[in-house]
Amino acid sequence: MENFRIIVENVSKKFTRDYSRHETSLSRTLSFIFGSTHKVEFDALKNISFKLASGKNLGIIGKNGGGKSTLLRIIAGIYKPDSGEVSVNGNMVYLAGFGQGLKPKLTMRENIYLVGSIMGLSQKEIDSRFEEIVEFSGLREYIDTKVYQFSAGMMTRLNFSITTFCIVHKNPDILLIDEAIGGGADITFQKKALDKMEELIKGGASVILVSHSLDQIEKYCNEAIWLENGGIVMQGDSKKIVDAYVKTYSDDGSVKGYVERKKKREMMKIGVENAKMEKIIAEKISGN
Amino acid sequence: MIKKSLHNAKSVLGLSYSIARADFKLRNEGSYLGIFWYLLTPLAMFLIILFVRGVINSSSIPDYPVYLLIGLIMFNYFRATTSTSITDISGNSNYVKSMKISYESLVCSRIIQSVFSHIFEVVLIIVFMIFFRESLFGLLFYPFLFLFFVLFILGLSFLLSTIGTFINDLSNVWSVLMQFLFFATPIFYAANPGDSVYLANLFNPMFYFLSIARDMIIYRTLPETWMTAIMILFSLVTFLIGFIVFEKNKSKFAERV
Repeated sequence: MENFRIIVENVSKKFTRDYSRHETSLSRTLSFIFGSTHKVEFDALKNISFKLASGKNLGIIGKNGGGKSTLLRIIAGIYKPDSGEVSVNGNMVYLAGFGQGLKPKLTMRENIYLVGSIMGLSQKEIDSRFEEIVEFSGLREYIDTKVYQFSAGMMTRLNFSITTFCIVHKNPDILLIDEAIGGGADITFQKKALDKMEELIKGGASVILVSHSLDQIEKYCNEAIWLENGGIVMQGDSKKIVDAYVKTYSDDGSVKGYVERKKKREMMKIGVENAKMEKIIAEKISGN
Repeated sequence: MIKKSLHNAKSVLGLSYSIARADFKLRNEGSYLGIFWYLLTPLAMFLIILFVRGVINSSSIPDYPVYLLIGLIMFNYFRATTSTSITDISGNSNYVKSMKISYESLVCSRIIQSVFSHIFEVVLIIVFMIFFRESLFGLLFYPFLFLFFVLFILGLSFLLSTIGTFINDLSNVWSVLMQFLFFATPIFYAANPGDSVYLANLFNPMFYFLSIARDMIIYRTLPETWMTAIMILFSLVTFLIGFIVFEKNKSKFAERV
């Protein structure tokens, strides 16, 4: 029998959209008395089922509001599904962007300890990782500076370093990533960050990756799910899904970047092959 | 099973402590000015009421200044901690929504932080007691009472933070309630058996905490057994109700904030 890390069975989730975003006790009482509760229910997820085998990576694609993040939060246990079941086998880390826990008025050192403990590490464990985090961020000279004085790029670096090393330390079997790769740091750091992310993804954990970057989905994931309006449009091999997705949206420009990059890559491949051919031909000619 | 839940509780407490420490630092920003502002409210009330004490018939209350100070400080602690607990969940939406974090520690951290602050309040009481030449012996027993006081406030915090995620203007309602409770509780006056105020206060948990604290600290007598029993009952029941309500509703928090 195959070993499954995550099994999602018939998961559905409804949200109520209120007209008054900020419900107050006063407005509640009034609407209760007058019997006018403006509520619209809508399905965020409808009967979602899939299985993820250990060591496999799954990508989730789709337009905004398609239910991608909701699905990930349900798997992470942050939301409770209305019906259906999610079983998770192994320890899991949920990562929704970087930059959740930083407190601007604390120093970098204090922030490392705060975010680390929010990520679930004990003081001792953070002690053991502290040097690595500082080293990776490349911000050693600012260690006792308050974070609000950091530039946006420095923030990103700090955030990324803390989060990444906490994940490395926890060594999860399952990694849920919601739009977290990349960021606003400079190119050198971005490269470093991407390498580190890649290391994490390829490090043996099963990954579910929600991303708008089709390149990433294609690169890192074996399988993919295409969600739209809370339902699965297609699921299966990631390359096939991405191709189908691109075909569907080829007119509206949202996948233009991807298509161009892919073309470029293919051109390059052809270019490389042409160069090889030319070289061989040249060699043959000179040999003759 | 027990070992696991023990381990769980330990990690919740560890996280609570870290958050509390960070928040405490944030509030005081390196200096201890934050504590000064925190102490200013009861101190100002203290001076104002001492000035106008002619209006209140305080002559029947022995050691009135310390009596008043203990009342004000315990009530201020209660008011400040419960008021901030309302936003424990809704004010931390970035944690609640995007991290798998034990929500209990968000509530507990606030309590731990308030205990840090309360230490300074107790120091203030000690300073005044030395100034008024009172014996400090009774204060030794205060931690026992404080334990139940914190349990009571913790339960209330669980309850309020739960309601606060569903109803947005709870803090307005609560501040009015606190205003009401401030005058209803014998803080700057005394409630003697037989008064209608006394009868009403039999349903007021703060009355028990204050009376027992004063009995121990100022009058150095053992509090009456029935009062102690009701006080313990209040704190245990409040804690249980608050905790159960919190646990029952916590799966909905992430959707509401």
